[in-house]
Amino acid sequence: MAILEVKNLTKKFKDFTAVDNISFKLEEGEILGLLGPNGAGKTTTIQMLLAVLTPSSGEVTYFGKSIFEHRVEILERVNFSSTYINFPWEMTVRENLTYISYLYKIKNRKKRIKKIKNIFSLDKLMNKKIRELSDGQKTKINLAKSFINFPKVLLLDEPTASLDPDIANKIRKVLKNQRKEFNVSMIFTSHNMAEIEEVCDRVIFIDKGKIIAKDTPLNLAKSIKSAHVEFMGEEIDKIQQYCERNEINYEQEDNYIKVEVKEVMIPQLLKQLAVNNINYDEISIEKPSLEDYFLEVAKQDEENRT
Amino acid sequence: MKKIGLNRIYGIILRHTFQSMHSITRMMDTIFWPVIDLLLWGLTSKYIESSTVSIPNILLMVVSGIIFWMLVYRNQNMITVSMLEDFWNRSFMHYFVAPVKFWEYILGTLLFALSKLGLTFVLSIFIAFILYQTNLFVLGFSLIPFILNLLLTGWWVGFLVMGIILRYGSKVEILAWSFVAILSPFSAVYYPIEILPMWAQNIATLIPTSYIFEGMREVINEGILDWNKIIISFMLNTGYLILTLIYLKYCYKKVLNKGLVKVF
Repeated sequence: MAILEVKNLTKKFKDFTAVDNISFKLEEGEILGLLGPNGAGKTTTIQMLLAVLTPSSGEVTYFGKSIFEHRVEILERVNFSSTYINFPWEMTVRENLTYISYLYKIKNRKKRIKKIKNIFSLDKLMNKKIRELSDGQKTKINLAKSFINFPKVLLLDEPTASLDPDIANKIRKVLKNQRKEFNVSMIFTSHNMAEIEEVCDRVIFIDKGKIIAKDTPLNLAKSIKSAHVEFMGEEIDKIQQYCERNEINYEQEDNYIKVEVKEVMIPQLLKQLAVNNINYDEISIEKPSLEDYFLEVAKQDEENRT
Repeated sequence: MKKIGLNRIYGIILRHTFQSMHSITRMMDTIFWPVIDLLLWGLTSKYIESSTVSIPNILLMVVSGIIFWMLVYRNQNMITVSMLEDFWNRSFMHYFVAPVKFWEYILGTLLFALSKLGLTFVLSIFIAFILYQTNLFVLGFSLIPFILNLLLTGWWVGFLVMGIILRYGSKVEILAWSFVAILSPFSAVYYPIEILPMWAQNIATLIPTSYIFEGMREVINEGILDWNKIIISFMLNTGYLILTLIYLKYCYKKVLNKGLVKVF
C-alpha cells in the first residue's frame, strides 16, 4: 500500500486552475521529486497535501486515511519544511524547537531536541535568536524542525535553498541517512536539478497544474534526445563551417564551440570531423540531464505563450 | 549644508500615500481617534458640568472605569496581537502543519492573554491605590460578575477582530487597536447612559458593557448590585460570543480556501 496517495486532485481559484486533476503515489521509503517551473502548482499541491488549503475536488490519503477526515492523526506522523514559513524572530532556536515539540505527541522532548541538535550540528545556534541567523541557517533550522516528530512522511519545499554547497551536501546526506535508517518517505521540490537527480528515486514534472511526466530522473533526462559536444582548439572555424554545411545547431565563442546533436549521432560527428581532417585540442560531451528536460519544457511553454 | 532632496522626501510621502490608499482602515484611523476621543471626553465633561451638585466618588468612578475598560481593551488586544505576531513573523502556518486543532489554537491564545491580563489587572489596582488611594475592592463581591462579563466582552470582540484579520490579512491589523473603541462611547464608561442622545441610548441597550458600567456606578454610589443588569449583560455577551465564534470558524474555513500560506 502506498504511504501517500493523491487522486484527481484539483484546485481552482475562481477561473484559474492552479492544480488540474493530478494523481500520484508515494511509496514507503521513497523520495519523490516534484518539479516544475515557477507557478506550475507545486506549492499549491504541497499545501493541499498538508490540509492547509482546501482542494476543489480530489482525495489525499496517508496510510489509507483521508487527510481531510483524519488530519490530527495524520499530521502527527507527517512534517513539512519550507523557506516560506519562518520562526518568531525574537525567540531562540531552542525556544522555537521546544514550543514546536509540544505541538506533537513526543515522549521525551528534551532528548529529541538534543538528537535533532546533533543530527543537524546546531550546537552553536541553539541559543541564538532567529533574527541573528543567516538565511542558510534559518533554512537549516526549518529542516531540523521537520524531523522533530519522527515523521514517516516529509514534505520538503526547497529544503536546501540558500544553503552553502557544502552544507547542502551534508543536508542531502542527512536526508538519505534518515530515509535509510527510518524508511522515511519524502516529497522534495528544488530548483537544483543536480540535487533532484542525486536524491530522488522518481520525479513528477508539473506544468500549468498538470502532471506532464512521471519517471526516474535518468529516464526523463534520456527523453531529451539532444546532447552537447564541446570542442576547444585552433580549428574551431572549420567545425563551424562543417556545422553550417550540415545544418547542425551550434554556439561559438573564440576558441570554443558547442555543438548540439542527437546523442546517437555523436560517434558519427566525431568520425566525420576526423575524415575531414578537422583537429581540436579538447573535447567534452554533455549528456542530456534533468536540467535539459526542465529547460526543454520551459522553452516549449514560452513558445506556446508567444 | 548638504542640500535636501525634495524628490526623495516626495518619494517617502508617496510610499506612505500608496500604502494608505490600499488600506481603508489606515485612512479611517486619521478621523477615527479624534471622533472617539471627542465623544468620550466630551460626554464625560458634559456629565460633570451638568451636575448641579458635586458628584460623589468621582475619582473612584473614573479610576474604576479606566481599569474595567482596560480589561475589555487589553483582553481583545492581547488575543488579536498574539495572532498578528505570527502573521508578522510569517510563523502562523507552524500550528496548522502540525496536528493542532483550530479550537486548540484559540484556547491556547486565550489562556495566554488571560494570564497576562491578570497580571495587568493586579498591577493596575495596585498603582491606582498607591497614586490615588482608590480601592477597587470596595466593590466587594460584585467585582466577580463585573469582571466575568468584561472578560466575555473582551473575548467576543477579540474573536470578531481575529476573524476579520484572518480573512482580510494584516492590512486590517489596525482593528486590533481601534475596533473596541467603537463600543466605548456607548458603554458609558465614565458617565451615565442618560447623558447620551436617545439614538445612542438605544444602541447602548445592545452593548453588554453599558450594563456593567451602570451597575458599577450604582454599587459605588448606592451600594446596590442590580442582578438584572448583570444577567442582561451576561446573556448579550453569551449570544455575541457564540456568534463571533461561528464567524471566526467561518473565516478560518474561508482562509483554507485560499491557503494558509497566503495569510499574513
